[in-house]
Amino acid sequence: MAKLHISTKINGEPTEFLCDPNDSMLDVLRGPLALTGSKEGCGSGDCGACSVMLDGRLVCSCLMLAAEAEGHEIETIEGMAEGEKLHPLQQKFLEMAALQCGICTPGVLVASKALLEKNQNPTETEVRYWLAGNLCRCTGYDKIVRAVLDTAAEMREATR
Amino acid sequence: MKAIFDEAELATMKFGVGQPVPRTEDPTLLTGQGRYTDDLNRDGQAYGVFVRSSIAHGVLNGIDLDEARAMPGVLAIYTGADLAGYGPIRCGVPLKNFDGSEMRNPMRPAFPTDKVRFVGDPIAMVVAETPDQARDAAEVVVADIDPLPAVTDARLGAADGAPLLYNETPNNVVLDYHFGDKQAVDKAFASAAHVTKLGIVNNRVIVSAMEPRSAIAEYDPADQKWTIRVGSQGAFGLRNLLAKDILQVAPEKVRVLTGNVGGSFGMKAFVYPEYPALFHAARELGRPVKWTSDRSESFLADQAGRDHEVTAELALDAEGRFLGLRITGYGNMGAYIGQVSPMMSTLNIVKNVTSVYKVPAMEVTTKCVFTNSSPVSAYRGAGRPEGNYYMERLVETAAREMGIDRVELRRRNHIQPSEIPYDTVSGLTYDSGEFTAVLDKALAFADWDGFEARKADSQARGKLRGRGIGDYLEVTAPPQNEMGGIRFEDDGTVTIITGTLDYGQGHWAPFAQVLHSKLGVPFEKVRLLQGDSDELIAGGGTGGSKSIMASGAAIVEASDKVIEAGKKIAGHLLEAAVADIEFQRGRFSIVGTDRSIGVMEIAEKLRGGVDLPDDVPQTLDVKHVHEGGPSAFPNGCHVAEVEIDPDTGVVEVVRYHMVNDFGTVVNPLLVEGQAHGGIVQGIGQALMERCVYDEDGQVLTGSYMDYAVPRAADAPFFAFGTHSVPATTNPLGAKGCGEAGCAGSLPSVMNAVVDALAEYGVRHVDMPATPEKVWRIIQDARN
Repeated sequence: MAKLHISTKINGEPTEFLCDPNDSMLDVLRGPLALTGSKEGCGSGDCGACSVMLDGRLVCSCLMLAAEAEGHEIETIEGMAEGEKLHPLQQKFLEMAALQCGICTPGVLVASKALLEKNQNPTETEVRYWLAGNLCRCTGYDKIVRAVLDTAAEMREATR
Repeated sequence: MKAIFDEAELATMKFGVGQPVPRTEDPTLLTGQGRYTDDLNRDGQAYGVFVRSSIAHGVLNGIDLDEARAMPGVLAIYTGADLAGYGPIRCGVPLKNFDGSEMRNPMRPAFPTDKVRFVGDPIAMVVAETPDQARDAAEVVVADIDPLPAVTDARLGAADGAPLLYNETPNNVVLDYHFGDKQAVDKAFASAAHVTKLGIVNNRVIVSAMEPRSAIAEYDPADQKWTIRVGSQGAFGLRNLLAKDILQVAPEKVRVLTGNVGGSFGMKAFVYPEYPALFHAARELGRPVKWTSDRSESFLADQAGRDHEVTAELALDAEGRFLGLRITGYGNMGAYIGQVSPMMSTLNIVKNVTSVYKVPAMEVTTKCVFTNSSPVSAYRGAGRPEGNYYMERLVETAAREMGIDRVELRRRNHIQPSEIPYDTVSGLTYDSGEFTAVLDKALAFADWDGFEARKADSQARGKLRGRGIGDYLEVTAPPQNEMGGIRFEDDGTVTIITGTLDYGQGHWAPFAQVLHSKLGVPFEKVRLLQGDSDELIAGGGTGGSKSIMASGAAIVEASDKVIEAGKKIAGHLLEAAVADIEFQRGRFSIVGTDRSIGVMEIAEKLRGGVDLPDDVPQTLDVKHVHEGGPSAFPNGCHVAEVEIDPDTGVVEVVRYHMVNDFGTVVNPLLVEGQAHGGIVQGIGQALMERCVYDEDGQVLTGSYMDYAVPRAADAPFFAFGTHSVPATTNPLGAKGCGEAGCAGSLPSVMNAVVDALAEYGVRHVDMPATPEKVWRIIQDARN
């Protein structure tokens, strides 16, 4: 089967890749593009470990065909920090140790960033329901939810 | 015990023992740079995919591979016959039957050749150039299986006439276990003023580490060396099992490399049948062979947790004093016996069930039973949470039945500080603990007395409200021999080498805190090496909440050896007698003078090449082995409150407070996280999770849409309190915290559920208290 040639933008960089028609976006990120920060926890859109942003919208990259990236922009965990400078969410997760094994963490961070871009002042319930698509078996979610709430508060303070 | 740290110094240290230091690995993990097994690829690797039985029990007549072999990209297909040269997986727990005879220990071959015994049983492995090619070919492999009747429930499996998994194992009973003095227990029950008796199901759970299992095997024919990159709980122990049992070669001919591990909870600790198959393919094909489980496969074939069914009985005198305890039941082993499978429903119940209480007589009788289900092994606590759950359900029920306040009943039976060291009926000696103080502190913290107002508020909103106590004590695994290596590297860093291995706990920072506090090595210079079996000379691995005791002690003792060597070197460099050299705050100095040299300066001088006389150590590097010690006894009291919507049966944990005694806490930031995670795994088992098989042995809960792992909206915030009484049996005074959350949450949450439903006359609810179950209970009571 002929490979498809896809032109897209990943983490701000124009990117081209070849893929099979049945490759998922996650397959291509983790394989040819060597962006292994996005993880496959289930392959069925139930765990959120593969979360990426597609044109500013939160999606499971395991449910997206790689070919669908044509002409669109994708953001992954690898694009979240600016060089050495961590995103405020990453910094807060670090300070609070809001991760343990870390395998769900990239997806949780991408999803949390998506939330704060839509809602700068979420309630605890809003954070919990927004992140209900991201399974974490280690942390019990306590520190994750606190970290997102605290980051939101600090980001609001900073933009005042 | 002599103080191992300078307390005054410790108080000034930003990275000292006791400080909430962020985790050293987190900048890597937070930016997506972690390296988990599936993130790795080896040059020239091929891909393995397993063909698994879709039938729970049947005679395996043959496997037709012809069509699959002709599929594109297929390199080889291996079946059980190809793997006959590899040793079997066997149980390593030395338990005996009631009558003194040896337990049955049928060996598990890599792949079965006679019968399939559960849905998910691997029967062949396809190796191809790409994962998709391997998957496609695996789908056209045809197994000729004559189905047999299946049994997945342990009680039914042990019944006469049940389908037999192994001809040589009558009634499927692997182990007929008994502990205790039957006569003493019978006497206690005969003389009791009251007996409380409960049937309790400890539901089967799927471990569900978010990283599925994955492995890459290689074989180097020149050195005849086998290498496997795989998630584990300790590279040294897994290496030894693979070398001794499976490959039957010298340990140095096997190398286990473990990088980041995406959760394990007991599940990734031991040998799986996939490993010999991958090794075999790697040698036959002369290429690395990689396999990553998909999630469906993990639901079927990962070792599962829990799955006991018991009758629990407590005998009390008229004042409510415990006279005797009897636990009688079944432990489901699944279709094969794993390295530790029988331990959870036997020995670990014996050790943990009496908890913080004085229990003069106890009997535990367990039939460990084969069934047509995935093998059962350790899961978060491995018998510890269950033991505590059985006891706390008994205590709560007894209090209700006897009309004694549940708090008072606990206090009345607590082991008191004046009675410590306390010898338990299970043969352990508690070295420390203030159980009543912990209980009182937890109740005050949780505002126990303010409950009625909160209940009234819930009622006003149409909700039922209940509160529950989980007063727990866990017996950690006894720390085994554990390596404490310290190596001063050429780049000026210092590497700690440990046989424990973290799969999410975050060992690096706390171990570095211990080294920094003891040896004065700058915190930021410390590295941790834990996942390369070639570097290890000992290692009991991580599990049973013992790592901080084992590795902490190993690092302290190894540091003492560094100091001893350092004094001799410093004596030479400073031209003073060794007896005149003292070590403090990372510096060796001549007593009474201002002449000194730091440990890092000595390391630098040694790197630069200093001529030292022969009687002076030539290095500061140490390879130390800490000798294992006794278990520790972390304990605490958790208080949960739940709200139940009587119209839907939905149970919500709305308030959760705890006070824990983890002894000396090296890093409170991480310890609190361990408690949170354990609690929510407990909430999952208590309210949501249950692995369900149908009557044919098919798994009905084979995806995240069918099996409910707790999500962010299913848990509350937690209030964490501490009442530390340092352990006296390890140098740090630590007690271990990894499994305690589960031990506190199973009983506190379920006691709260029963409390909320008490007005409907409910005496006991089995886990999981799902909305359907709770709704039916309420409907039945109303009708």
